[in-house]
Amino acid sequence: MNTDNVKAQMRKGVLEYCILLILSKNDVYASDIINMLKESQMIVVEGTLYPLLTRQKNAGLLSYRWEESPQGPPRKYYTITEQGSKFLKELDQSWDELIQAVQSIRDKHL
Amino acid sequence: MKKTISANIAGTMFLIDEDAYNALEHYLHRIEAGYNNSSEGKEIVNDLELRLGELFENRTQSHKKTITIEDVNWAISILGKPEDLGTSQSSRSGFSDGTYYKPVHRLYRDPDNRAIGGVCGGLGAYFDIDPVLLRVLFVVLLFFGFGPLIYIILWIAIPKARTMTEKLEMHGEPPTPENIRKYS
Repeated sequence: MNTDNVKAQMRKGVLEYCILLILSKNDVYASDIINMLKESQMIVVEGTLYPLLTRQKNAGLLSYRWEESPQGPPRKYYTITEQGSKFLKELDQSWDELIQAVQSIRDKHL
Repeated sequence: MKKTISANIAGTMFLIDEDAYNALEHYLHRIEAGYNNSSEGKEIVNDLELRLGELFENRTQSHKKTITIEDVNWAISILGKPEDLGTSQSSRSGFSDGTYYKPVHRLYRDPDNRAIGGVCGGLGAYFDIDPVLLRVLFVVLLFFGFGPLIYIILWIAIPKARTMTEKLEMHGEPPTPENIRKYS
């Protein structure tokens, strides 16, 4: 076990939550989702994003449309669905609970 | 000097070196195979190809140039190696179920390992035997009289491995970026 692996595992679980957060108020291009996650220091390799986006789309949490781009290939423009928004609210709550739990353990044992 | 291919990456035409094309194709195949060639895997690989198109578009815009193996390695470092993308990778050489990529293994003369014509070098590479042993064998056959004749026949019949692809085929290795660096 090394720290990189553990960090990657931690990030993996949270990435799906972050994608829904990014899409919660606006529609965003796939490449811009990547850039926003990078800005917030959330991902290092872009490839981890595509499987998640596809799975969330197949689960009905997201949908996309194609938009032509002036330079280069057409791009996917993602939107959160109603189901996705509901799911996001549940994840918000889960996240708060998780933070509280971890913080309480840190307070008691650090 | 390398051969160039014109490739269709997600609908945009790019000029790409042959070794770069092979490495890229192998990369995408490995990922798709990692998803057991499911339709979900195809969709993901499609998205990756789109992203590759965007990355290469920005990279080759400054001056008209072809996509090189360095460009491909750069793109893969950004996107992530197949092992990092959460797919099932059962073999390092990329033959996860063996059905999508058959290793090409051909007999060539090896120009990088030749005493006379690269015949022993090439035979050694194909069979994974030390060429020195083969050269000793031919010298021994010299004393029996037919050694030189066999050598000359082989020299004429076996082609020289010129390109990167041919050198990889000679060793029977797949065109992964790591292997390509070995022989470039």
